[in-house]
Amino acid sequence: MPSLVATGLVKRFGGITAVDEVSFAVNPGEVVGLLGPNGAGKTTTLRMVAGILEPDAGEVRLGDVDVIRQRIAAKRRMGFLSGDTRLYQRLSSREMLWYFGRLHVMGDEAIARRVGQLARELEMEEFLDRPCGSLSSGQKQRANIARAFLHEPDLLILDEPTAALDVMSGQFIVQAIRRERGAGRTILFSTHVMGEAEYLCDRIVLLHRGRVIDAGTLSELLARSRRSNLTDTFLLYAREGQESRIPNPKAIHAQTLHRPDHRPQGDPGDAARPAHAADDGRAAGPGVSAAVHRSRQTAGIAA
Amino acid sequence: MYPLLFIGLGKLQESQREAREERASTVAVWGAAPARLVDALKADRTIEPVAWAEISPDLRRRFDQGSIVPPSETPEPPAQPERESGARPAESRPTEAGRAETEPDDLVTQAARDALLRRRADAILVLWPGLEAALQAGRMGRASMYFDSVNQNSTLARQRVGRALETFRRDVVLQRQRARGLDEGFSVALRADATNVAPRQRRTGQALGTFLPFMLIAMSLLGGLYPAIDMTAGEKERGTMQTLLCAPIGSAEIITGKFIAVWIIGLIAALANIVSLAAALGRIMPGTVTIGPSTYLLAFVMLVPVTFIVTAVFLAVAAMAKDFKDGQNFLMPVYMLLALPAGVTMVPGVQLNAWTAFVPVINIALLIKALLLHEAPPDLVFLTLVSAFTYAALAVTFAASVFEHEQLLLGGREPWRTLLGLDRRPGRLPSAAVSLVTFAVALVSAFYGSLLLQQAGTITTLVATELGFFLLPGALVVFGLGYAPRETLLVKRPALAGVVAAILLGLSSWTFATGVLMRLLPPPEEYVRALERLVLFKDQPLPLWLIWLLIGVMPAVCEELFFRGLVMSGLRRFGPAAAVGVTALLFGVAHASIYRLLPTVFLGAMLGVLAWRSGSIFASMTAHAVNNAFIATIVHERWIAEALGLGGSEMPSWRLTTFGTAIMIAGLIVLWKGTREGNHRGLLRR
Repeated sequence: MPSLVATGLVKRFGGITAVDEVSFAVNPGEVVGLLGPNGAGKTTTLRMVAGILEPDAGEVRLGDVDVIRQRIAAKRRMGFLSGDTRLYQRLSSREMLWYFGRLHVMGDEAIARRVGQLARELEMEEFLDRPCGSLSSGQKQRANIARAFLHEPDLLILDEPTAALDVMSGQFIVQAIRRERGAGRTILFSTHVMGEAEYLCDRIVLLHRGRVIDAGTLSELLARSRRSNLTDTFLLYAREGQESRIPNPKAIHAQTLHRPDHRPQGDPGDAARPAHAADDGRAAGPGVSAAVHRSRQTAGIAA
Repeated sequence: MYPLLFIGLGKLQESQREAREERASTVAVWGAAPARLVDALKADRTIEPVAWAEISPDLRRRFDQGSIVPPSETPEPPAQPERESGARPAESRPTEAGRAETEPDDLVTQAARDALLRRRADAILVLWPGLEAALQAGRMGRASMYFDSVNQNSTLARQRVGRALETFRRDVVLQRQRARGLDEGFSVALRADATNVAPRQRRTGQALGTFLPFMLIAMSLLGGLYPAIDMTAGEKERGTMQTLLCAPIGSAEIITGKFIAVWIIGLIAALANIVSLAAALGRIMPGTVTIGPSTYLLAFVMLVPVTFIVTAVFLAVAAMAKDFKDGQNFLMPVYMLLALPAGVTMVPGVQLNAWTAFVPVINIALLIKALLLHEAPPDLVFLTLVSAFTYAALAVTFAASVFEHEQLLLGGREPWRTLLGLDRRPGRLPSAAVSLVTFAVALVSAFYGSLLLQQAGTITTLVATELGFFLLPGALVVFGLGYAPRETLLVKRPALAGVVAAILLGLSSWTFATGVLMRLLPPPEEYVRALERLVLFKDQPLPLWLIWLLIGVMPAVCEELFFRGLVMSGLRRFGPAAAVGVTALLFGVAHASIYRLLPTVFLGAMLGVLAWRSGSIFASMTAHAVNNAFIATIVHERWIAEALGLGGSEMPSWRLTTFGTAIMIAGLIVLWKGTREGNHRGLLRR
């Protein structure tokens, strides 16, 4: 599994800088949550990471693939889901999945196998052949997830996957994410539901006004903000104007990239362990983080 | 649509016309009517004269008193006999009462208007006082018709009364002539008639050519309008655009897919239009319209480039819209702008010529008209198609550039400067889009520029075209947008082998170009003569060195910097074959004549190979200059031409062609052997 490294991403729309020098890394098999209020730059960041929006500056690498220059190769290895990725109203879920399977240059057999598998896992059998336009929003989101998971991507990028869903449907999606995580996939997702973030994430990147204001495991964030839960931490930063609270933003910035990953590759034990169990205390491993650190000086990531 | 529209409308009009024809016209007759005149009116069964109808008692009294006078200058005196000087009905004008009236004729007009607008009568015939007396005395009587041109029944009544009065007038004149023993021809003096010799095919062509191109273009364009909005703005609105962008496909694939879909729908619309039009015309006017299937086929072929351009423009514009409604608002004006000019075929006198052949859409409309009239000269057809495809390429480049900007596809905005690829890119090479757009702009401006300069003399035209339309735009683009000038324009010292090869190719390529390629499509004699006049400056004989400078060096420098420099620089990233080939094609097209297309494309390819392989623009400049100067010399110095066996202006002999081709191949070998493989590697960079 490759790691995802975003370095110095900048995106301006007209005179407004929507994303300003955002850097972070997602280690293989890790779930990282991008948290921030509306307008913090989450969606723009995810779009740039997914290769559907070109940054004005910065670099995104998925393993050895330069996401911005080799978009097509990168997209083959990613699954992207957001509130803006809707379905073709007149196609049934099955037809839509076959269409995207073909766009991913999957073989017929592989498509058929994956469609069957996902339909079972996401309980889509009953509406698989109904036009997408006639589905409920929960069903639509399940079909959409099936589309993003179809080609068994290394990296899943999920932009507020549970937004606008009821509790039941939302829970369904959360379980699906946990399943994929159990399968060892790297997941980057954004949300403003604090509970979800606490439940799912190995690490959290807090975004505000286009900048990373803090990043780390849940307990690290809580320790730094001296608050007892993520919601309060979030409110603190969102309300008070972030950077003054953080002793040395540059250090945090670097630490975002330095976050080590102690899990051995392919460790399936995650599903059994409480997701929000304090992840701090992990030993710093040299792997990705060192390479990333190097890359920031040499501007040529060799991870 | 057409059969329904045509047949339905036709039937409706026909039945209305029949109803009108059957209906008798009620004509109010004001004034004392001579019995003979009443008879003449009644002879036409469709006229129902009613004496003094709808007249006010007051006005009638004035008529009876004879105090009403005809207008001094009647606008339409249909029943007025030939004017004789002094025959004005002055004698019937009452001097005492008449003067007191204020504009007495206005009273009549007002009363007539009043009666006609209330539709109490179809027309009013006013027989001015003194008519009968004048007729009997052999003088001129006066009558006026009042009618309402908006009311069809009234117009018809006026025609009927006019005919009846004309018959009456002829009778009166005949009687007078007989009474005076004059010949029947006395008052006629001359009868001239005209015969239309235009064959029926041409006449129907003219009739169809006025409205058919407009209808075909307007209706065909409509076919692609909604699909274009739906597949761009519609996809954005439904949120599937971003879903599509997640898939591992390039923007080129997305625009190509959408383009092909919309274009095919446009073509189907065009085909359906033509088929139903043919069916409708055959159905309503069997026998009168003789348009062969080949004409319909040609019309369809003409619609191919039109739909191509329009599809690209529609897609590019619609892609900027946020949603379907926005898309409609954006595209409707664009549609009007593109479709309405096609109505130019309805303007009499506008024809396909060198000017109109370069105006998008209008040129195709006029070409369809010319085809229907069977008078489309091949050179103009070529120009029209060249310009049509130039605009099509521009439109597609623009559409592709819009689709490159994901920000737009995700519903955001982008500045125009960015969309048009005009952002400064210091130190880099131009993109293919910039190359092609510069070419298209230079081509169109050079074309119109040289037409404008025609009066200015050959030298001015030549210098202005080369410097103004090739060198200047090229320099503006390279320096204005901040590209790396040396790398873009291949400014580098060539290897010796490159120069030797350039001279060999410059001396020999023309033999193959004319000896083989021109034989495939020989130009007409007059064209050759015109070209010869140009090369020789027949209007103002010049010394040979000046001819070399004007025909050899100057075009070589300007055109090479433009074509092998700027244009090719944008295409180099696609590899040598594509870069050299496409540049050669554009070079050929720029010579604006179908007869020179093959030879110039070939020469362009040779120059491209030289520039690419040697990595230096000076190599291709040398070959270009040598080629042009050599041909000018042959034309100028007859003895060289005769020594080469080129007596008149005939093609080079096969012997000369073979000899020249051998030298050319030798030149290519020198080029290959003498330049290292790595020499041009740098050209692919960036």
